[in-house]
Amino acid sequence: MTKILAFCTASAEELPRAALEVLAAGRQLGDKLDGTLQAVLLGPNVEGQAERLVHHGADEVFVVSHPRLQVHEADVMVGAMEALVEELSPDVILFPHDELGGGNVAPRLAYRLNTGIITDCTGFEVQSDNIRWLRPVYGGKAMATMVANGPVQMATTRARAFEPLEADATRQGQVQTVEIDVDSISSSVSLVERTQEEMEGISVDQAQIIVCGGRGMEEEESFVALEKLAGVLGAAVAGSRPAADLGWVTHSQLIGQTGKIVAPNLYIAVGISGAPQHMAGAGASKTIVAINKDEDAPIFKLAHIGIVDEWQNVIEPFTDACKDLVSSSD
Amino acid sequence: MHIVVCIKQIIDPEIPPHVFQIDPIEKKQIRGRQVLVISTFDEVALEVALQMKEKEDGKVTVLTIGEAEAIEALHAALAMGADEAIHISDPAFEGADSFGTAHILAAALQKVGEFDAVLCGRQAGDVEMGLVGPFLAEKVGLPCVTLAANMEAGDGKTKLRRPIEGGYEVLETATPFLATMMNDESNVPRYVSVRGLRKAMRSEVPVWSAADLGLDPAKLGSETAQIEMEELFVPQRETRCEFIEGETGAEIGKQLALRLRELKLI
Repeated sequence: MTKILAFCTASAEELPRAALEVLAAGRQLGDKLDGTLQAVLLGPNVEGQAERLVHHGADEVFVVSHPRLQVHEADVMVGAMEALVEELSPDVILFPHDELGGGNVAPRLAYRLNTGIITDCTGFEVQSDNIRWLRPVYGGKAMATMVANGPVQMATTRARAFEPLEADATRQGQVQTVEIDVDSISSSVSLVERTQEEMEGISVDQAQIIVCGGRGMEEEESFVALEKLAGVLGAAVAGSRPAADLGWVTHSQLIGQTGKIVAPNLYIAVGISGAPQHMAGAGASKTIVAINKDEDAPIFKLAHIGIVDEWQNVIEPFTDACKDLVSSSD
Repeated sequence: MHIVVCIKQIIDPEIPPHVFQIDPIEKKQIRGRQVLVISTFDEVALEVALQMKEKEDGKVTVLTIGEAEAIEALHAALAMGADEAIHISDPAFEGADSFGTAHILAAALQKVGEFDAVLCGRQAGDVEMGLVGPFLAEKVGLPCVTLAANMEAGDGKTKLRRPIEGGYEVLETATPFLATMMNDESNVPRYVSVRGLRKAMRSEVPVWSAADLGLDPAKLGSETAQIEMEELFVPQRETRCEFIEGETGAEIGKQLALRLRELKLI
């Protein structure tokens, strides 16, 4: 039976969405291949999260709980995964395509296993036990199907490409602890400082609604109007590359090929032309609203709802109308 | 401090979609009349290296693998301020995947000799796999720091700053090391003047072949690829945009809010 291994990291307090997404991808693949979904759960004091992986789709969970298994300890994670793969001999290994997984651990593990890896996948097809991975290329202007050769098939899944399964507390699965000599894994990189400001408002990674401004906002002060709207809607404020380069938003709010990839329920693009580099980051949003004065702007080819007008004319009455609707439903 | 930067030349990624064309048989983008540029994040890596050199009085060497026209990317890198450029080129390299590329770059690093840091972009601006940097670190046996935005030298150690949600973290690594770089406010690549570029075009750029690197041509290129692209296509999007119209902005704004409520989005 095909064994699919999903790489999940957590802390005692939090089981990140990335873990649930990779489980969702693994469950889909497991069902198509008639295989078993094994999840490895790595982190400090993570035992308490193991059952939840079963509820979200895992058949078996292998827990490695160790204080060194922190998200910045990529070397330790690579070493631990190498040992786990030896022990479990999976046929397929899935990672989330985030800073730790797709950015570091997955490629290095693939190299050590001398096996092919396809990164940043948004889907797959199974044809006679072969997996053809689907992924965007050329900044989302094209899509490619790719196959990985080698003893193990590895892939990383793009954030928001797979929707986490609803937790089902009646799902049954096995949970077991694995003893790995984590202490002896050497690491040549160490964390010396972490500075994290209390985020004002909601982060773009977690928001269900994003209000994004582009070059058409014309000046930094214009973002005050977007922040007001975001406040009413419980949304996050973001910006396109020009907005970030001009300093109107920070780089952690930048959406696009060189920034974040998001897929909220509602994406409101204001003064954004819809260049492919931008849409590479926002194109998967479930509903896109575009407000732009140029009726020929490419964003109207991708948007679901469009308004051709100066944003200054629309945003304030829109914000007021939203405020009325939101307050009347409370 | 000697920093080696690995760059890739790609077709300008910022072209509009209507001029973007692919060859579905060859499974790659058709260049047409588009210009070639240094891949976005590789240029960021070079900027970081140059800033470091200005602070620490070091040296920056740029490597690229590519056919004849890749020399243009090296000239641009020299014009930005790199001290040396090396063009790695051989017909045997054609079709190399990320494993093959890392293999070739590892041999080139050995021939370069002493270095303190190797910088790569976080991913190429065309196929965007993001594998060559981590593969190269593994192949050469270097500490690997990924997704950093800038760096600072210390005694025998280097600190790399990495943006995270709402802030940053600083990682310290032994030297030499390899890092993959991403963009932030501190590393917007500098512009190159036409005069600078003209001067750079007169520089000698050595070309290293498979033989120069002691590589066996039979073990390179597409022969050994572990990742295969089976199909390349431009997706057809069929979104029909529903336009909201009205006499005044106030009316339109209200209509939009009502429509979104109807769709249960707000």
